[in-house]
Amino acid sequence: MMDRRQFVKIAASLSAAFGLSGLPEPVTAALRRIDPRTVPTLLYLQGQSCSGCSISLLQAQHPAPLTLITKYSRLAFHADLSASSGGQAMALIERYCRGEAGDYLLALEGAIPERMPQACKIGDVTLASLLESAARTMTAAVAIGACACDGGIPGAEGNQTGAVGLPEFLAKRQVDKPVVRIRGCSVHPDWVWQTVVNLVEIGMPELTEAGSPQRFFSRTVHETCPRYHDFQQEIFAAKLGDRGCLFNLGCLGPLTMADCSSRWWNGGTTWCINDNAPCVGCASPIFAKRKDLPFYRMKKKA
Amino acid sequence: MRIELGPVTRIEGHLNVKTTISGHRVEDAQCIGEMFRGFEVILRGRDPLDAQQITQRICGVCPYAHAIASSYAQENAYGLTPPPNGRILQNLVQGANHLYDYLLHFYQLSALDFVDVTAILGYKGNDADLVTLRDWVKNELASGKAFPAAPFLPRLEGRYLADAEINIGALKHYLEALRIQQKANQASAIFGGKFPHSTAIFPGGCSQRPALDLVTAYQSLIQEVREFIQQKYLPDLLAVAKAFPDYWHIGQSKGGFMSFGVLPTSPEPGSPRLFAPGVLMDGQVAAVDFAKITEDVRYSRYDSPSGLKVREGELSPAPEKDGAYSWVKAPRYGGAMVEVGPAARVLVDYRQGANQELSRLVDHLTGLAGVTPRELNSVLGRHLSRAICASVIADFLLTESERIDPSAPAALELEIPATGEGFGATEASRGALLHYLRLKNHVIEKYECVVPTTWNCSPRDDQGHPGAMESALIGTQVADPAVQIESVRIVHSFDPCLACAVH
Repeated sequence: MMDRRQFVKIAASLSAAFGLSGLPEPVTAALRRIDPRTVPTLLYLQGQSCSGCSISLLQAQHPAPLTLITKYSRLAFHADLSASSGGQAMALIERYCRGEAGDYLLALEGAIPERMPQACKIGDVTLASLLESAARTMTAAVAIGACACDGGIPGAEGNQTGAVGLPEFLAKRQVDKPVVRIRGCSVHPDWVWQTVVNLVEIGMPELTEAGSPQRFFSRTVHETCPRYHDFQQEIFAAKLGDRGCLFNLGCLGPLTMADCSSRWWNGGTTWCINDNAPCVGCASPIFAKRKDLPFYRMKKKA
Repeated sequence: MRIELGPVTRIEGHLNVKTTISGHRVEDAQCIGEMFRGFEVILRGRDPLDAQQITQRICGVCPYAHAIASSYAQENAYGLTPPPNGRILQNLVQGANHLYDYLLHFYQLSALDFVDVTAILGYKGNDADLVTLRDWVKNELASGKAFPAAPFLPRLEGRYLADAEINIGALKHYLEALRIQQKANQASAIFGGKFPHSTAIFPGGCSQRPALDLVTAYQSLIQEVREFIQQKYLPDLLAVAKAFPDYWHIGQSKGGFMSFGVLPTSPEPGSPRLFAPGVLMDGQVAAVDFAKITEDVRYSRYDSPSGLKVREGELSPAPEKDGAYSWVKAPRYGGAMVEVGPAARVLVDYRQGANQELSRLVDHLTGLAGVTPRELNSVLGRHLSRAICASVIADFLLTESERIDPSAPAALELEIPATGEGFGATEASRGALLHYLRLKNHVIEKYECVVPTTWNCSPRDDQGHPGAMESALIGTQVADPAVQIESVRIVHSFDPCLACAVH
């Protein structure tokens, strides 16, 4: 027999997965009783990023973004949303990083310019020095997106800033704090929000060898692809716009661990393969890294 | 007195603004981009088709504009003309992206500059979302924890909207807009594959099929967004304008205006666009000539040569360079500073009388506000121009989607040449966007992007002339020099995207 606390935990993760509206009344009633002071404070910082992951997080459907930042987390700071600005915002960030504003989870979007720290500053302070403080005071971190996990495009072959992801940045400084890696360029909002709820209500999720939650990243796009049957029957798209398996056009689904084929994007509207667009491998640790691994295989004129 | 406004929030990316204040007047302003990645170097030696994927990651707020500009540049380089469906689908994707971006900017990024969020505490109605928000803010304020009610508080001190009803209405629409921007993005994802970062846009068209069921789903979503624009966005904007009329005269940039035009009405290169391109200087509109664009770097953190044309662009970072204060370069048109963005897009078209619906809206809405089109060069003018763009684009998308022929293809079979070069120009929601690529041995030899916020957040050029936003800040009267809510409102009116500006 599960106790009430366990029940609430499970209900919370269920609700995160399916939204409150579809749950029976006793479950939603239990959810309303969760003490809001137990939700985690997120300090959301951006490094060498494009804000695409933040914009993707705003596409969350069930629960909606406002529910997520009032009910399942406290968003202490986010550069795109905070009313606070300038010195007031800087003071807030620095108080958290010094450990003076309470427990928090660090959420980082974007890479860190390891060889050229001046290539990313918040206010007048380098991101690297803020992160060095945060590394001592944060409870754990969530690396959000390809850049924060593995350096992403800023860390691609031939880059000038030596961009790296948060795990590598922390490892070089012998910091041993948990970092959950949510890959994707951008992340799918469910991948992040459900992980946050999991961290609060249950604890660290089961991770893959690559440090990402097993729940979302344990099988390749290829093996779960609705066109896997086409692949087996050797029904291949020959040119853009064709249906069939997209392997011959360069699809990187076989190299990419993600559950896009069952989750779909933008509230279940579609996903890349459904639009006849080859997977570009954006959830892979080597996304966009190598010049000799292009996204597509198209014909070349002599 | 020197006051830093950074980190500036509710924009994209890493912006600092250093101001010099004398009394209550901004004597000088420096706009500083604080993040560099080096996309143009990263692109060298890559497969050219990688470019429309890689360049989208310059900006996750307006990625589709980069996908379009890169696709146009590649079409130009490969000598492709897309099938009619291909261009239409590209338009449907890009246009829906504009709509989301305008709503996000007005409600999520700008509204808290004007709307009094604390008005929620006095809410006595029974709207479920507002009751939730009120109770949450109350509990937060009573909790005794550090920084309660973040991210909505703390905020800058200043005068906010006083009318409780307008405040409550705007907060309700802030919450609704979060849903509506999702619908605009769902519409663009139908043919774009996903949002952010489309995978289905290609040179020559779009890989998704122009199927009837997709078109009707698209139209239904855009119709909902259009209703929100007409019934909520425009009235909210006019209410803000009425309460802050001085902002028709605050934040004028002191140069010309440039727009590359957006949403071509047929597939052929050079075909007319929904918004006409042009450069507006001294009341005259001239055709755009990409050869007149140069980028100065005297005050930018690069030691590559200054004043290079787009085809010759170079990128050599020098973070400690003497006298340099920003990672943003200083682009100039024929040596002159121009503003780009919604006001430029509207003014350049309006002065040519190109789009009659746009002209009608400009006359009608400026008339309602009691100003002239000249006042579009202001804080409120930029906001109003966005709403005008949103209204014109939403109508266009509904008629454009009717032109689809479900029995015809939307993509071309691609065959990539070994050499070639091409320009691709469009309007991102934030303004004029130019991509240039040159191929050699089937790989990218050179790629250059001149991006909207590069123009607007430009530092001084080699002659010492300020960029558009700097010029709009200089001379501003501020009530509290330490806070400068006026300056922050000016900066927000440009909707700066620093990831774009530096790239």
